[in-house]
Amino acid sequence: MSIQKQMKTLEYDVLVVGAGIAGGESALNLADLGYKVLLLEKELSIGGKMILLSKVFPTLDCAACITTPKVSEIARHPNITIFTGAEPQKILKKGSHRFEAVVLQKPRYVHVADCTGCQLCEEACPVSVTDEYQYGLVGRKAAYIPFSIASPRAAAIDIDNCTLCGACERACPTKCIDFTQTPEEFLVKIKSVVIATGFELFDPLKIPRYGYGKYKNVITSMQMERELAPTRPFNTVLRPGDGKMPDNIAYVLCTGSRDKSVGNPICSQICCMYSIKQAQLLMGALPMADITIYYLHIRAFGKGFNEFYVQAQDMGVEFIKGKVGKITGKENGNLVVRYEDIKAGTVKEAEHDMVVLSVGVLPNQGISGVFENEELQLDPFHFVNQVDLMASPAKTSIEGVFVAGTASGPMDIPDSILSGGAASAETTSYLRKESL
Amino acid sequence: MKKKIGVYICHCGGNISDYVDVEKVRQAVEGDEGVILSKTTMFACADSNQKEMVDDIKDRELDGVVVASCSPKLHLLTFRAVVERAGLNKYNYVHANIREQVSWAHSDNKMGATEKAIQIVKAAIAKVRNTESLEPVIVEATNAVAVIGAGIAGMRAAIELAEAGSQVYLIEREFFVGGRVAQWDDLCLTEETGKELITRLYDQVMSQKKITLFTGAEVIENSGSVGNFNLKVKITPRHFKLRCTEETLQQAIDVCPVEVPDEFNFNITTRKAIYHNYPSEYPQLPAIDMKNCTRCGECEKVCPNIDFSQKTEYLNLKVGSILLATGFDPYEPKKGEFGYGEIDNVVTFPQFKRIVHYCDDKLVYKGKEIKNIAYIYCVGSRQVDGENKYCSRYCCTAIIHTAITVKKKYKGIHNYHFNRGIRTYGKAEVWYDESSRLGDIYLQSFEYDPPVVEKSGTQTIVRIKDMLTIDKEIEVVADLVVLVTGMVPRQDNSIGNLLKVPRGRDNFFNEIHMKLRPVETVIDGITIAGASQGPKNIMESINSGLAAATKSFSLVNSGELALEPTVAKVNLEACEWCGKCDEACPYNAFEKVETGGKFIAKVNSAVCKGCGMCLPVCPTNALDLIGLTDEDVESMIDALIPNI
Ligand SMILES: Cc1cc2nc3c(=O)[nH]c(=O)nc-3n(C[C@H](O)[C@H](O)[C@H](O)COP(=O)(O)OP(=O)(O)OC[C@H]3O[C@@H](n4cnc5c(N)ncnc54)[C@H](O)[C@@H]3O)c2cc1C
Ligand SMILES: Cc1cc2nc3c(=O)[nH]c(=O)nc-3n(C[C@H](O)[C@H](O)[C@H](O)COP(=O)(O)OP(=O)(O)OC[C@H]3O[C@@H](n4cnc5c(N)ncnc54)[C@H](O)[C@@H]3O)c2cc1C
Ligand code: SF4
Ligand code: SF4
Repeated sequence: MSIQKQMKTLEYDVLVVGAGIAGGESALNLADLGYKVLLLEKELSIGGKMILLSKVFPTLDCAACITTPKVSEIARHPNITIFTGAEPQKILKKGSHRFEAVVLQKPRYVHVADCTGCQLCEEACPVSVTDEYQYGLVGRKAAYIPFSIASPRAAAIDIDNCTLCGACERACPTKCIDFTQTPEEFLVKIKSVVIATGFELFDPLKIPRYGYGKYKNVITSMQMERELAPTRPFNTVLRPGDGKMPDNIAYVLCTGSRDKSVGNPICSQICCMYSIKQAQLLMGALPMADITIYYLHIRAFGKGFNEFYVQAQDMGVEFIKGKVGKITGKENGNLVVRYEDIKAGTVKEAEHDMVVLSVGVLPNQGISGVFENEELQLDPFHFVNQVDLMASPAKTSIEGVFVAGTASGPMDIPDSILSGGAASAETTSYLRKESL
Repeated sequence: MKKKIGVYICHCGGNISDYVDVEKVRQAVEGDEGVILSKTTMFACADSNQKEMVDDIKDRELDGVVVASCSPKLHLLTFRAVVERAGLNKYNYVHANIREQVSWAHSDNKMGATEKAIQIVKAAIAKVRNTESLEPVIVEATNAVAVIGAGIAGMRAAIELAEAGSQVYLIEREFFVGGRVAQWDDLCLTEETGKELITRLYDQVMSQKKITLFTGAEVIENSGSVGNFNLKVKITPRHFKLRCTEETLQQAIDVCPVEVPDEFNFNITTRKAIYHNYPSEYPQLPAIDMKNCTRCGECEKVCPNIDFSQKTEYLNLKVGSILLATGFDPYEPKKGEFGYGEIDNVVTFPQFKRIVHYCDDKLVYKGKEIKNIAYIYCVGSRQVDGENKYCSRYCCTAIIHTAITVKKKYKGIHNYHFNRGIRTYGKAEVWYDESSRLGDIYLQSFEYDPPVVEKSGTQTIVRIKDMLTIDKEIEVVADLVVLVTGMVPRQDNSIGNLLKVPRGRDNFFNEIHMKLRPVETVIDGITIAGASQGPKNIMESINSGLAAATKSFSLVNSGELALEPTVAKVNLEACEWCGKCDEACPYNAFEKVETGGKFIAKVNSAVCKGCGMCLPVCPTNALDLIGLTDEDVESMIDALIPNI
């Protein structure tokens, strides 16, 4: 296998792929011990899913407020180099403690160091498209800052939608927009790799009977997360269909989880709790609203979780043990939920003015294909396989490659931090073995 | 006195500005003495604003900075780092909390909230005018870690620390290592048995030169602080010289006349005063339980390796960090709880594990073959009336896995699961699925209407109002009732008390931040791992052991530590040692010393946290806090209530 000559060559101790909370924690621990880390993030900002959440269960800490210090610590650390908009194309194992990766960085068309985040380019840009960082709830421009607490907080040009009109270039006071940027490839030599590529959300279009995509007031939990976040798009909770404030909201748990018909038999471990959290937040934001949670089992297993669940019951959230079969829309935008009420032993219908689908956690499978000469095994559910689950949970099928966070299975933030800590610990002792 | 103060007031993306008029706050303070720059910002903590602050400090040559935002618990360190990056001593930064203390507390009164925010910011400005540059206290850190508890979490952490390069003292209270996992055979999520896993970890522990393992050992004294803890360890002798041969050991066991309940088997069997938990366990050297030994000397006659002359030893260890991995206790049901202790075929889950261990082709308990097993879930967890409100996390998965094992191992088993909603989270869902496929019956009740266990003639009956069949009353005649008991914190918390590690609402050791710092505690240098921090399965315990090892290692690795200089200071003239400060100090930072012919109090600045508890109790006003002097506080009070 030969790697092109003209690529710029970089050397680090560790390559961390994915800058969510798990990758971030691993990178920080390793950097604190003096190792040089290259942290790759395919998105325009580091922080993963967590930076986009509203508040977190069960402490109800504001997610932005606890993520941003972590994120700026990562961004500032002298031993960490961050590439955003960058993904490994291939990773080769060259021997013990020797890996080579080809990293592709997509152009941002903005010189990040010069961008002040003034947003004048955004104002100038005439193109409007849906905003993926607000999960499609609102629009953004083709010249845009991903979101207000992004790191780096710098503009980017969405070249696929850009008409090359040049308005942003003219508006930019620091002249940091540069349409001549091209994709760049780097050859990165490292001693060890940490996979922290996180998870993907179940796409509810795969269950047409729930009406997602057809009825505007059926949204996903991640969209609700955005509606409740401090950097929220509407500044209050609204029905996307007509802008009305909802007052009778339903949650459908296990959407795309524990469901063999969509190919995902396992439980996603977080959706019960984030739904209970959102229910509590909604009761604060919309004091008059009724919240109903349709569930099969409530997985309130972690520290403080069961207490949090009981608190939601005491606050008046209605929990109905039942499987939702179908959701149909009414003319006024309301939704009829047809469900099997397990306790009553009958099929029932109930009307709600907004339905939130608590979508599950799916594996992010792409990374295994990047390893070319050794196989990165996946488990039966397509998460990165933990080859020594009981004694070394961060070990993968390739010696020197470790896994952190939801890349190995569903888990919440503290478990991701523990797993990130475990991955950095095992990387440390692996690196020590080389120097001995 | 500072002349060039910069003030930043944060919107916190609406968290503050929805209730506090931040622009009004800015205007109210822009004219304050010394303030030459005042700004509002959407997220003060965001990278872009931090960059702007650094530029401001450099360009305008600021000598004092105030950020009014959220709690200092979240961002004090963030902004100290910002001013430091701009070349200013970080103690010239003062934090004002206008979120937790203002916007969130007074969301019903915007006018009042804005007024209060103004005063808080003014007080912070008053304080920053007087701040002085301070240097951290540098202490040497010993590159050694004490790992307390040699269960799986402790052993795994010890291996990691040794591999990374620290000296490790692994201190286990029992005579044998492995903790609870040694007591379970089959484990869920793996083919490996508990014993095999322990063997694997023990072999690694013993092959590490940097690990010293102590068994029968307990930490009884602790002094010092992060970087330099001094521990006194008490080591109880086993009264065995060498590994004896199987034969002589067996003879010794046979002749021992004492018979006590075997705790390793959760008292379903008995053992002698000479014992080992199971053959070939680790270390492979039996022990004599002196609490029960009558010193009759019978064993000595048959086994030459017994040595009653061995004495309790005491050892002093110096370590830079302590990693606590003391695990959990299984919940012990009260007498009569679901018939426990009253009906003879009611056992706990841990006991059931041991029963299954001893039964090969037939499942037999108390001479009776078992076919119908009723499992009652959540015993001691999710209590409506009791103290334990939490879910014990491991038990749904572990019991379902055990029930499947039992069904496959013995013929004709019927499993009935009396549950409160199954919590086989994550990948463990497949076990639940498999057990349903194998025909296990699930019956569910609500918290407030638990199943009832009763004796009817010779039969034991479990009765439930099953919500899965429209509250139908269902009865199961059970040959064995297994109470699926949860995890509780170690009942003996002497080590937690000694090290002053706080416990949470659930009484497990408490971490410093539930979301982001799950293995660190408020006591600098002490980390927590495994089930001692809260219920966990093995994989989760190992993850937390490894994460704690990383944190402990990063403290001791570099050889030195920088500590906060904001500590108490004693005025030598004014102090007339009365000991009141010593009594008030929660961290034992005071020492009585003699100077100039009198006794005075001395502060160990590596231990003092600057909490200020000692200040008000000093009768001669001989104490002050560096970085928060009486003068500072008075100037802040003046700014807070200007009209008095
Ligand atoms: C709606 C919702 C609400 C939630 N609420 C809570 C809560 O209240 N409390 C809680 O504890 N947890 C909550 N969670 C769970 C929490 O989001 C996860 O535990 C956490 O984000 C996992 O972090 P991670 O780093 O493993 O993965 P991610 O956050 O997914 O991060 C992975 C990162 O890797 C990047 N990446 C992926 N592939 C590549 C590649 N090939 N190259 C480079 N980069 C790549 C991704 O872009 C991403 O930034 C919630 C989840 C959801 C969906
Ligand atoms: C019935 C049952 C079945 C289970 N089955 C499974 C399963 O199948 N799969 C799974 O993953 N998990 C299972 N678990 C969970 C598993 O037991 C725990 O995850 C694991 O024991 C936690 O390990 P630990 O090291 O944190 O604690 P422990 O195992 O409790 O070990 C702690 C160690 O610290 C020592 N110690 C305590 N106090 C002191 C002190 N003051 N000084 C010195 N040493 C001290 C103890 O003697 C002990 O050796 C089960 C639990 C139970 C109760
Ligand atoms: S966590 Fe709850 S909602 Fe999510 S898959 Fe598991 S049971 Fe369903
Ligand atoms: S894990 Fe299951 S049995 Fe254990 S306390 Fe939680 S719900 Fe009850």
